[in-house]
Amino acid sequence: MINLNIIAPEIFLFLSIATLLMIGVFKQNSYSLILNLSFLSLIGTGFLIFLNFGVNEILLESFISDPLSSFSKILISLSCLFVLFSSQRFVKDKNISKFEYPIIILLSVLGMFFMVSSNDLILFYLGLELQSLSLYILASFDRKNIKSAESGIKYFVLSALSSGLLLYGCSLLYGFTGSTNFELIKNSLNSGNIGAVFAMVFILVGLAFKISAVPFHMWTPDVYEGAPTSITSFFAIVPKVAGLVALIRFMDSPFKNILEEWQIIIIFISVASMILGAVAAIGQKNIKRLMAYSSIGHIGYILAGVATGTNSGYSSSLIYMSIYAVMNLGAFSCIYLMKKNGEYVEEISNLSGISKDRPVLAISFLIIFFSLAGIPPLGGFFAKFYVFMSVIESKMYVLATIGLLTTVISAFYYLKIIKTIYFDGNKFKLDDSKSLSVNGTLFMSCFILITFFLYPSILNSLIYNLFG
Amino acid sequence: MIAHAFFFYFFSIMAIFSALMVIASRNTVNSVFFLILDFISVGCLFIMVGAEFIGMILLIVYVGAVAVLFLFVVMMLNVAQQKQSWFIGKKATHIPSGLLVGLLIFLELLVVVGGWQYKDNLMSSSTLIINEQISNTHQLGNVLYTEYFLYFQLSGIILLLAMIGAIILTFRKRDNVKTQSYLKQISRDRSSSVILEEVKFNKGVKVDD
Repeated sequence: MINLNIIAPEIFLFLSIATLLMIGVFKQNSYSLILNLSFLSLIGTGFLIFLNFGVNEILLESFISDPLSSFSKILISLSCLFVLFSSQRFVKDKNISKFEYPIIILLSVLGMFFMVSSNDLILFYLGLELQSLSLYILASFDRKNIKSAESGIKYFVLSALSSGLLLYGCSLLYGFTGSTNFELIKNSLNSGNIGAVFAMVFILVGLAFKISAVPFHMWTPDVYEGAPTSITSFFAIVPKVAGLVALIRFMDSPFKNILEEWQIIIIFISVASMILGAVAAIGQKNIKRLMAYSSIGHIGYILAGVATGTNSGYSSSLIYMSIYAVMNLGAFSCIYLMKKNGEYVEEISNLSGISKDRPVLAISFLIIFFSLAGIPPLGGFFAKFYVFMSVIESKMYVLATIGLLTTVISAFYYLKIIKTIYFDGNKFKLDDSKSLSVNGTLFMSCFILITFFLYPSILNSLIYNLFG
Repeated sequence: MIAHAFFFYFFSIMAIFSALMVIASRNTVNSVFFLILDFISVGCLFIMVGAEFIGMILLIVYVGAVAVLFLFVVMMLNVAQQKQSWFIGKKATHIPSGLLVGLLIFLELLVVVGGWQYKDNLMSSSTLIINEQISNTHQLGNVLYTEYFLYFQLSGIILLLAMIGAIILTFRKRDNVKTQSYLKQISRDRSSSVILEEVKFNKGVKVDD
């Protein structure tokens, strides 16, 4: 008899999705009801995750539930909850408030759950497909907007290509090691197995595409710009958590014995992402495109932690990812507040001089962008600090130096926005917003970023313990 | 034994012949029909070697879905007649380039097949324990719904999501669609549906439709 308690969060989430779908079909205009119920189901799923925190493997050891997967599932559900919560108003204003919207987001979360707790190539691939198929639909959700449709198509074509590469890698890996199970692959893999090393490269390509690391980042700016802002914030936070955890699991479990082979690739991807994220964002005028390049840069720092191949490196990247999620939630809440004459605006020039009549919004921008730039004592500084600490511990001084240099370069464009807000002439007047959900999320994000330095050990000790 | 050989050669010849006709036929719709015939012949060959599951899947997926989709596309795109000539003026048509690509693929296949070496420790099929009493489909069913039920369910969820997505992205509500309401039809009476009007000479009446 299989102990289904281990897979209970997934079962609960799927059952609630099915129920919500039925409610949506039979009840007219049920968007708000379904949104609220999906909050409840995410919270319920979170509680079920708390119930089993040990290491368990079921279903021919294809599904693993360990502290790493439980932590990332909680991070995924929490960030998804806040993305949905803060975007309520935006979705209503943009007229995309169909009842399928929260349901598809929940389905994508379900796919991510399977991704992070897969211990088998087939389960991993199925989870990944469920996740990305939902993302294609979400990107083109505002189908009357030509840019949204374009971003959906673009993401679909490129992502399908990368899925194909990943699948090719999976089949090669199966052929050369004789198993789809991560543990068995790990045992039969060594650097003499050239075919399997070759397969590893393909799997890395697929994963790097999903977390938009250079040189597989081409889709990111267009998709981020075209998709509705609520979806962009989802794209920028939640799938990245799942992609990172899947990457860590691949590196830590099946590819553990070929560390020298993958390390050099990850270092290259990390350096390239950091440099491109820092340089390409300078000329951007659209804040969503800027956030896209900024996320590419942040993925570079996160991968620097993964590149060490040590437990402290993996933990530092997870800490970075958690703080990155908080920062991006705040940044996108700020973008929701960029509203002029009832229309949402995305050009950075619209922020010119808003510190005079919107001081609170201006100070939130200041906190979040300083944190994104990594200025102490905000949360973003600690994120970078831990990553660079573990990189230096592993004696990878070149990587650390490039990382520090790109941090300085990227600080330029973050500070440029702050300068626009505080020192440029006041030309525009943004609408006042009394939306509790956006302001609440913004406040929470700023609060965490400011007070993180008081007790950084809460998050640190939690994450360091995940890797035992 | 003779019957077996007869069926084998029959289906093989059908498969090769229809594969040739797919590229030789001038009418694109005919090509698609030959493609379907090709799939069916290959499916029969699969069934003959005892792989009845793959044969049936080939019929259902390729004939039932893919080939019919091709047929729709071909009919919609209106490319029924293909001109067959090597050159139009000085420009080469697709025949020389197609021949070139075909030749290259043929050479590559020669290299691959010629250089093929089985890995000595590769699991050979003779070491597998195969129960001859249970059919392929039965074997698959035995594990698909028990040990691998999660994969099966997850594939189902992916298909459900694809369906929802297709509906969201293409469904639009039409306003001017006339629908039937039995209640309305039954509860009509004379006063609400018939009016008497004085028709003026040479003007007529305007009736809203």
